[in-house]
Amino acid sequence: MNIYEHTYIAVPEANKKDIEQIEKKIEEILVKNSGKIHKTEDWGLRSLSYPIKKNNKGYYRNVYFEGNKDAVKEIESFEKYEDKIIKYLSMKLKKIPKEDSELAKEKN
Amino acid sequence: MKRKKTKKKTGFGLSSKSNLLAKKNCPLSKKNEDEINYKNIKLLKKYISDSAKILPTRITNVSHSKQKILVREIKRARALALLPYVGN
Repeated sequence: MNIYEHTYIAVPEANKKDIEQIEKKIEEILVKNSGKIHKTEDWGLRSLSYPIKKNNKGYYRNVYFEGNKDAVKEIESFEKYEDKIIKYLSMKLKKIPKEDSELAKEKN
Repeated sequence: MKRKKTKKKTGFGLSSKSNLLAKKNCPLSKKNEDEINYKNIKLLKKYISDSAKILPTRITNVSHSKQKILVREIKRARALALLPYVGN
C-alpha cells in the first residue's frame, strides 16, 4: 500500500452533480482495490496558464488516498475517457500533509 | 571597529572583488523556509524567468539538492497548468 496524491481538472461548465459523480467513481474504484480516501481538497475555479482542450478555466480538485498501483492505473484510465475531465496527475507521497495547501486557502 | 575600517581602505581593489566572488548561501536551505511544493506557486515563480524558463543555480544560488527538487515541482506545476511552459 502506498500513499498517492491525485489532482484533476474538470471543465468549467461542470456543476456540483458532475463533480460528485466523479468523486463517487474514484471512491468506488479505490474500495474495489482495497484502498481508501484520506483527504480531498477543492481549489475552485482557476484560470489555466495555457488552454487545455480549448478551455481557459478549470475546476481543480485534489485527492489524497491510500492504494496500490492498480488502483492508480484504473483511476487514470477512467479519467482518460471521461469528457468532463481535461487533465490529471497522480504522484506518490511519503506522508499526507496535515495543513491545507496554499491553493485551497486561496479559494477561501 | 577601527581595525575594520582600515582593512577596507587598504585592500580596496582585491577585497571588493573577493566579496563578489564569495559564495552566497542557498535561499531555500534556510530554517523556516516553506516546503518546495508544486502547490506553492508563489515560491516557484521566483525561480522562473519572464519567458517561463527555469533559472540556473549560478543566478539563484540554490543548492544542488534543492534545485533537483525545485525542477521536479516546477515541471509538475506546468503539467497542471499552474505555471506556463512558455511566457512572453
